[in-house]
Amino acid sequence: MIPTLRSGPARSLLLFFFIILALGVFLFASSEAAASPSLQGTPTPLPTPTFAIARLDRPETSDPPTQLDQGALYYWGVCMACHGDRGQGLTDEWRDAYGERDRNCWQSDCHGPDHPPWGFYIPKTKLAPAIAGAGALARYTNAFELHAYILETMPWWKPGSMSTEEAWAVSNYVLKLNKAQPMGISLSLSNASAIPVHRSVSAPPSEKPGALVLALVLALAAVGMVLQVAPRWMNASTAPARPNFVHHLHPPSIPASQARFRYTLGAGGLAVFLSLVLFVTGLLEMYFYIPSPEKAAISVETITALVPFGNLVRNLHFWSAQALVIVMVVHLLRVVLTGAYAAPRRFNYLIGLGLLVLILLLNFTGYVLRWDEGIRWALVVGTNLLKSIPLIGESFYEFLIGGSEPGGATLTRFYAWHIFGLTSVVAILIGWHAFRVRRDGGIAVPPPAQRTDNRRITRFELLRREILVMVIAVVLLLLVALALPAPIAQPLSSTSTDISDSRAPWFFLWVQELLKYGDPFLLGVLTPLLVVVVLGLLPYVLPKSTQAELGRWFPRGNRLAQVLAVLIVLVIFMLTILSLFQLP
Amino acid sequence: MIKPSRRDFLKIITNALFGLGGLLGLAGLIRFLNYKPDPGPPSEFDLGEALYILPNSRTIRPDIPAAIYNKSGKYSALSLTCTHLGCTVEEDGEGFLCPCHGSRYNKDGMVLQGPARQPLRSLRVEKTEDNTLRLYTK
Repeated sequence: MIPTLRSGPARSLLLFFFIILALGVFLFASSEAAASPSLQGTPTPLPTPTFAIARLDRPETSDPPTQLDQGALYYWGVCMACHGDRGQGLTDEWRDAYGERDRNCWQSDCHGPDHPPWGFYIPKTKLAPAIAGAGALARYTNAFELHAYILETMPWWKPGSMSTEEAWAVSNYVLKLNKAQPMGISLSLSNASAIPVHRSVSAPPSEKPGALVLALVLALAAVGMVLQVAPRWMNASTAPARPNFVHHLHPPSIPASQARFRYTLGAGGLAVFLSLVLFVTGLLEMYFYIPSPEKAAISVETITALVPFGNLVRNLHFWSAQALVIVMVVHLLRVVLTGAYAAPRRFNYLIGLGLLVLILLLNFTGYVLRWDEGIRWALVVGTNLLKSIPLIGESFYEFLIGGSEPGGATLTRFYAWHIFGLTSVVAILIGWHAFRVRRDGGIAVPPPAQRTDNRRITRFELLRREILVMVIAVVLLLLVALALPAPIAQPLSSTSTDISDSRAPWFFLWVQELLKYGDPFLLGVLTPLLVVVVLGLLPYVLPKSTQAELGRWFPRGNRLAQVLAVLIVLVIFMLTILSLFQLP
Repeated sequence: MIKPSRRDFLKIITNALFGLGGLLGLAGLIRFLNYKPDPGPPSEFDLGEALYILPNSRTIRPDIPAAIYNKSGKYSALSLTCTHLGCTVEEDGEGFLCPCHGSRYNKDGMVLQGPARQPLRSLRVEKTEDNTLRLYTK
């Protein structure tokens, strides 16, 4: 209170003055509000006349447009209106682009209270947030999650109207706005989980030139080896230099008829060599692969999309594994169709058969390690088959997968089997198999007295031929690995079963086809087992060819075994073809 | 009968001991590898409020996986795990189709076409006091 103004008239006068003042301020404020309404009732600055209109121009694109170009175009056409040309969101500064009348878009035209049928409300609570800048992408870790969100919720007025490709393109552009653009990478299901959203990664330089140069150099070396055919090496007495370690793995000399390519097809040696390629490439993959259910598929994507030569290494591993199955079957057929498996070699034949089974198991466990949507049903069906075994089935199943249903423990176990458990057994058996070849008198040929050709070759010549086959194999593998990528799908998730591949890996397609016709135990467990048992019994039960017939294709002595083996392979082949073309 | 010499006897005993040792080791190995570090899948699922499952409707819950039915106020559920080899069946018109080996089921889970032989398992659904539904897979 003001102590000096005590008298009545003076106090009334002062009160009147204050009322007038308050009224004036109120009226002035109302007229101000009517002239320029704002979101929170606070006065907003007047439109800046200096808004650079060029910011609204159509983005420049190259021809043909890259994924980033497509993303920029879609963003410009659909997203930019609300999220801003730099991803800044619907800021006051951005709304200046709309000019005087529309800068308060939630009140005007399409987004006002009386919007036309094609219009829509702009949400006032979370007003088109910034999608670039600090914290904008905080809730995502990788481009796969960002893509999933955009695809599901955007554009705000018509969610679900984007195609998957458009969403990938926009994701790429949003990453660019955040300075986390994946350089030289088109986002897709098979790499997005490995692309971080908070930093920029670059595609490795193309592996094509390097791999092609390597293939060319090796091919030239192979030509060199063919040209320098050295007849002096055919004669053991003029052997050059001292034999090294690898030479010592071979006998000093062997009959020339044992090393004829048309007889052996080089399949056994090739199988050993492919195993070596698998060992080396598998070891390299282990430096990046993470065997946990959350990270397995992402680490595979990292190898494929980001690691220099990673894609090549993975493709080499994959294609060597597939080739190994085929080469082993060819080797098996060669041994049966030339009658070479008979005593004293029949035990070694069993070791070889065991190796084939183990390699199939290695292939299956390796296939599962991808831990992506492509392996879901193969894993479920493959392991559930064990449950159908009477009595021990259930416990065998749990022993194998480490739980009551496939999960993290299964991945760990399959990893252990794949990189060490099965691999060590295979390594030992390969050594034993090779040792037994030599112990049993080398590759099957007639005894010296019955040979038509008694020439011998030295181990130097033998090794030369082996290296030649290896070099040709590497060149072919490099070309295949460059041309055909190994399969990869999006990471395995708990619910999205509808995108899973329902096909077994190709070497088990015949079992999948059989399973359509009846009892799982009979057709899925006993039948494959029967195939192995029948093949294993061939040298023990059926008549064998004579010593003089060895070293030739289709001897008379073991025709029955030949027919049986070819029949089995043919039926399996037919079932595979049937399965490829008949899936629902 | 030939009387075994002392050396034969010792040889048999030694080999038997090695055999026994191997069996003991094997038993230990099996126990070692049989431990299951992962807990099993949950056997109870919350289906939310009963009134959201509309009368005469079918709701698919891919995470269980199960189909929830409301037949005029009576709630029931059908497991969507194929009884053949465990793939998840897909909706196929009224019924269900397994993508792996082609088994077909009708809308009640009865087998229309093999190789499956058992019908889809029905799962227990219970209404709790606060009108939410719970599903039990065991």
